Amino acid sequence: MNTEIVTLDLSTRRKSIIGYSLGMAGYVVVVVALYPSFKDATNLDQLSKDSPGVAALFGISGSLTSPTGWLSANIYANFFPLLMLLITIGYGATSLAGQEADGHLELVLSLPFLRSSVVAQKVAALALQAAAFSAIVFGSAIVGRAFELTVDFGNLTTATLAVGMLGVDFGLLALAIGAATGARGTAIAISSAAAAASYLISSMTPLVSWLGSAKYASLFYWSVGDRQLEQGLTVGAFAVLLGVAIILIVVALEAFRRHDLS
Amino acid sequence: MLTTAGTMNAAIETHGLTKWYGQSRGIVELDLRVEQGEVFGFLGPNGAGKSTTIRTLLDFQRATSGSAEVLGLDIVRDSLAIRRRVGYLSGDLRLFDRMTAAQHVAWFARARGATDDSLTASLIDRFSVEMDRPVHELSTGNRQKVGLLLAFMHRPDVLILDEPTTGLDPLMQAEFDGLLRETAAAGRTVLLSSHSLDEVQRVADRVAIIRDGRLVITDTVQHMRANAVRVVTMQFDRTVPAAVFTAIPSVRHAQVAEHQIELRVSGDIRPVLEAGLANGLVDLAARHADLDELFLSYYRRPEAEDPAS
Repeated sequence: MNTEIVTLDLSTRRKSIIGYSLGMAGYVVVVVALYPSFKDATNLDQLSKDSPGVAALFGISGSLTSPTGWLSANIYANFFPLLMLLITIGYGATSLAGQEADGHLELVLSLPFLRSSVVAQKVAALALQAAAFSAIVFGSAIVGRAFELTVDFGNLTTATLAVGMLGVDFGLLALAIGAATGARGTAIAISSAAAAASYLISSMTPLVSWLGSAKYASLFYWSVGDRQLEQGLTVGAFAVLLGVAIILIVVALEAFRRHDLS
Repeated sequence: MLTTAGTMNAAIETHGLTKWYGQSRGIVELDLRVEQGEVFGFLGPNGAGKSTTIRTLLDFQRATSGSAEVLGLDIVRDSLAIRRRVGYLSGDLRLFDRMTAAQHVAWFARARGATDDSLTASLIDRFSVEMDRPVHELSTGNRQKVGLLLAFMHRPDVLILDEPTTGLDPLMQAEFDGLLRETAAAGRTVLLSSHSLDEVQRVADRVAIIRDGRLVITDTVQHMRANAVRVVTMQFDRTVPAAVFTAIPSVRHAQVAEHQIELRVSGDIRPVLEAGLANGLVDLAARHADLDELFLSYYRRPEAEDPAS
């Protein structure tokens, strides 16, 4: 496979990825370092029991003071996926639609690249950015072992993978919309709205009975909303996250194949 | 390239090529043939369909109907093979702002998988391309030189250049003209799109004029010049009635001012001179054939229409 477009896109986004990663790594290290001061603060648990709605808005359910509860409430249920989505939706919308508006896509397509190769390389660049950011968070969370924050290594690994895949899925949604419409704004708007709805459904379902099985339509549920840090990513959830990615890649390939560059 | 039958293939050939953007006209039933080894001028006012044609040839967009081949290869099915052998300069060149020309060249070389290092070096030298500054710091003309370098550096068989001399100073334009002549002399083909006749007539063998998405005329520059309107001014020792000249078929227009008469002549000049000598001609001035005038007549719309873009 050609990798020139992967290299080019990663190098142009290098600075922003490094910036996001350093910021997030700093935040995660602070959160895990604070754990020993909070692990016996049972009044925190009381807080989430007394106001489950507010807690749910932050993606918090169950104990805040257990190691997995602490990591989930402060990182995995909210800030980690949020920043991940900023990166992946941002790149997904820029990679085709944004570069088309900037005229760069025309420059690239004047070279001997198949359209399918362009899409494949954009997908690879997207996945690499999500993987790099996930690895940073994972590495920083591992530091928590020095601060009594012991989370099962396997569960932490698969839970991190799940957030990475969540990011890739929504990034692919933005990429596919961009491939079909050539409109960066539309790609960002629809993907962000879908992600926000997905987040709300997943975090509110435990409290709102009429939402019922709607949670199964939420990618957040499959990646962070089902106690992944405690029990790991299930095979079923992995299959859903992967399946959605595959479907979106196929849609993006077909949409871009038909697309007239403007 | 020789086919099995031994005849020359056209470098570019379109058959009824048509592109509509919804209700909006792009190009209509375009039949164009560019021979190998020629510099072909593709002329027309802004919005006439030049870029639409080029963008369709390069498979940036799909034709509504019709077909086309570049180097005998189908523009849709064989687009990859075509783009290997074509150098393209966009009419709206957008380079990667933060990259230098050197980084562009290196990236293009990797993407194409093949390039000609000595040619690249000589082009850099010849056009004094600024290689080591991010392209967003360069002037329009200097960016354009980077674009030309990227289009020529792999020695493509066909060059498709959309308004290539934008921003180039006269010295660089002359250098560019030379490069085009050498390219054609080496048997390679140039499709030179422009809205300016001046740019094209210096280097093109043949030109096509497109207006409102349709081809108006394809002809050699030489032939067009022969048919172009020349302005001839004559001085006489007496007053001569305009009718003496307007009766001559090649005279389009005559304007009398005392002993002077100004004529617009298209075609044979001899009857005009004979009529002048017979009527007391004392002085004569003729301006070089003005293709611009001819051009404007092709550019102008027959009647007012909605300007399409």
